[in-house]
This record gives sequence, C-alpha cells and structure tokens, in this order.
Amino acid sequence: MEFLARLLHLQPQTFWMIAKVIIVFAGPLTLAAILTWVERRGSAMIQDRIGPNRALLFGRWRLLGLPQLAADGIKFFLKEDLVTTDANKLLFWLAPFMAFVPAMMGFAVIPFGRALVSGGQTYHMSLLEPGNGMGMLYPLAIGSVAVYGILTAAWSSNNKWSILGGMRASAQMVSYELAMSLAVVAIFLRTGGYDPHEIINHQAVIWNVVPQFFGFLVFFVCMFAETNRLPFDFAEGESEIVAGFHTEYGSMKFALLQLSEYVHIVTAAALIVTLYFGGWQVPFVAAPSVSLSIAAFVLKLVFFCWVFIWIRWTVPRFRFDQLMFMGWKVMLPLSLGNLMVQAFLMYRRG
Amino acid sequence: MFLIFALITLLGGLSLAFQKNLVVAGLCMVLTFFGVAGLFLLLANPVAAALQVIVYSGAIVVLLLFVIMLLSAHEEEEALKAHPIQRWGSVVAALALAGGAVKVVLASGILRSPRPVGVPPPMNLDALGNALFNNHLAAFEIVGLLLLATMVGAVVLVKRDL
Repeated sequence: MEFLARLLHLQPQTFWMIAKVIIVFAGPLTLAAILTWVERRGSAMIQDRIGPNRALLFGRWRLLGLPQLAADGIKFFLKEDLVTTDANKLLFWLAPFMAFVPAMMGFAVIPFGRALVSGGQTYHMSLLEPGNGMGMLYPLAIGSVAVYGILTAAWSSNNKWSILGGMRASAQMVSYELAMSLAVVAIFLRTGGYDPHEIINHQAVIWNVVPQFFGFLVFFVCMFAETNRLPFDFAEGESEIVAGFHTEYGSMKFALLQLSEYVHIVTAAALIVTLYFGGWQVPFVAAPSVSLSIAAFVLKLVFFCWVFIWIRWTVPRFRFDQLMFMGWKVMLPLSLGNLMVQAFLMYRRG
Repeated sequence: MFLIFALITLLGGLSLAFQKNLVVAGLCMVLTFFGVAGLFLLLANPVAAALQVIVYSGAIVVLLLFVIMLLSAHEEEEALKAHPIQRWGSVVAALALAGGAVKVVLASGILRSPRPVGVPPPMNLDALGNALFNNHLAAFEIVGLLLLATMVGAVVLVKRDL
C-alpha cells in the first residue's frame, strides 16, 4: 500500500480513497458487463442451444462468445439515436441516467474484504467508512430511488405499453420494499447494530442465513422484485407489453437501462452476501487473511449473480395479481412474523 | 456545501410550484426532498437523511406519480380559475410560516452562545430509538393510532361495498 502510494506521490490514505472509488465503480460495472455474456451463454446452456458464438476477436479467436461484449458495445455506440416525436425530450434523455446513477451508488456501503492494517493505519474495504451513521439504511434508500428511472422512462416515451410497464414496476417495487425492510430490521435486531461491518463481524460464528432463514427467504424473493428480474419482470413483460418501459429506447440509452439492471443484480447479490452469508467471512477459518477474505466475498458474489440468472431461465413469469397477492399476503406477514419471533427471542434472552 | 443543497432545495421547490406539467413537477418534488436530505447530512444526522429518502422520495412521491400517470396519461391539466381569496389566503399562510421559522431560528440558543467546537458525533439509530420509545412514547403511540384511523378511513371511503 505504502509502496504504491509513494510511487504516485500520494498519501496512503488519499491513494486508498481513490483506489476504493475506482474499485467500487469499475468492479460492479465490469461484473455487470460479464453478466450480460453469462446471461446469454447460460440461457443457451439451460435451453440446450449454443448461444452467441459468431463474434471473433481479430477475426480469429472465438473465446466462448466473449467478443460479443465488444461487438455489442460498438454497435450500441454507433447506432442511430432515435427519439419519438411525441416523447417528452428532456425526461426521455434523463431517464437512463436516473436509472443508472442509483444503480451505481448502491455498492458504496458494501464491505468487500477484511480491513487491512498496514503501517499503523487501518484501511477499510468499503467506500463508506464504518460508523458513518448511515449503515444499511443507505442501500435501502438508494434502492427505493431506483424506481424513478423506470417510471420516468415509461412516462416520457408516451407509449401505452411503456406506461403499463412503468405502473407495474412502481406498484411492485413499493409493495415489496416493506417486506424487504422488515427482513433487514430483523437482522439489525440480531446484530444489535446496523453497520454492515458490525453485521459481518457478528456472523463470525454462524451465518445469519441459518437463524434467520425466513428472513433470508423474504429478502431473496424481494430482491427479485426490486431488481425487476424474472419471475417478477413485469416492467418488461415481453409477451404482454412488447418490452415495457424501454420499448422506445435504442442505442446507448437502451444499453444504460440494461446495464443498470445488471448492476442492480450485482448490488442485490452483494446485499444478500453481506446480510445473510457472512460477507467476507470464510467458514472454518477464524481470521482469514485480507486476500482470502476478498476472494471469499467475490466467490459468494459471483455465485449469487449466477443464481439470479439461473432462476430467470428456470422459473416462468407470475401473473400480476399473483405478484401482488404474494407481496402483501405472503411476504409481508412472513416478514412481520419473523421480526416478532426474533424480538421475542431477544426478550427471552434478556 | 450548504449553499449547494439549499439551492437544490429552493430551485426544486420553485420549479415544483411553477411547473405546468404534473409529472415534471413531481420529479422536482423528488429533487427538493433530496436537497433536504443533503441538509440533514450536513446537520450530522445521516439517519434522518436516509429516512427522508426512503419515506418521502422512495415511497410517497412514487405513489403520487403513480396516481398522476394513472389519471391523466399525458394531457396537461386545464388550470382551474384561481379564486382571489385562495391567493390571499396562500400569501397569509406563507407569511405566517416564514415568520414562525424566523422566530424559531432567532430564539435558538446557538445564536447567543458561542459556536460549539469540533464536529458533533453523528446521530445514529440507537439515539433515535431511545428518543422515540423512551422520551416520546406517548406521542409515538398517538401518531400510530392516528395513522391507523386514517388508513381505515381511506379503505372505507374507497370501498363502498365492504
């Protein structure tokens, strides 16, 4: 750390701050880009197809279809940027950014490794230092703002399918937010704190997924609703409303909307790992080294990203009334009950 | 920093009042709430900032925009004829509010005593919970009861044939 900082003529703290910003922005973005490839190859694998394999790097290397990423990027940048005549121009332009910025902000609070102590200085592996007072409220706040991108994109397109998609998305995200927050509150109760670092340290002995299994179930399902992924992708619903909120979008604007969905997947997976699967803790290793802890976190993260894709190609879409039924009459009571039981156990223990 | 957030809040509020398009006005409201959240952060109260974003920006305005989009898909609302009495009433209400705010600021002790040295510790959830459930328990319960009554009332109003 000191060596690298000296190389750039920076204070170690300043260097680490800049490095963290780069990691927190570039990491999820890179992973999201790779996920678009995993999604297509994975879906092909699940459905017994081949998947994208025509893009060749320098006309020679196939690399399992990975050059498709570069081809997509070039195509998105060079495509004509169409705006429909009756669209609200300003909001139509703003909407992809309103979707993308909150998606990128969510990861800032996640600790992605054990704190590194070097030269009498502690370097925390999360952009927001522990004890900032915001803790796990931050991702909840950012997540609740994410719906505006979809809502604005839907409304500004001036298209009936789009507005239908936007309505569905907003109703769905608001309904599932309650159950999700209550599940997180049960974790707060168990930990006795709401800072992600505290939550992870508290899981040194046993991961939260075991004592908080119902909380995990609720949170897991709600994450699908919040990221607008199948089986809850009513904002898009191709077979019903063309492509929902992004029907009118093309070129790089569409790419931004799509990328923000994948970044949401990464953030959702990171939240699941942090809250229920011990964050960077390694099972059966009492004090993992820094690199081992980062590796453990990334491994868990990638696994849950894969679970998101896996479920998309396995479970069919629900009907909208089924979704609402599940949100209000299954998830919310389950989450509330889980919270009550947890509170009662804490009370018994004193 | 204070100026930036104050400007965001003020500009959002002003454009909210003068914007003809309801959906854009709603989005301006979100901007205003964000400005207020930023001001809370500057006051070393990240919990209030987070709650502001979760409750106001995240839930209330979403529902508001939802209703706006559902009712009038795109056409702009024809402005109702403004009653003069409404205008004067609004001016009086605004003046009273402004007067009250100025009075509260002038009456606070911080203007008289010298500024406290150093940064105060940030507010956290523990302090908030203690304040709510120890110091203001009665008020908390009453507000909860009121909200419940409101909810029941709303359901009764909407569903005539229960």
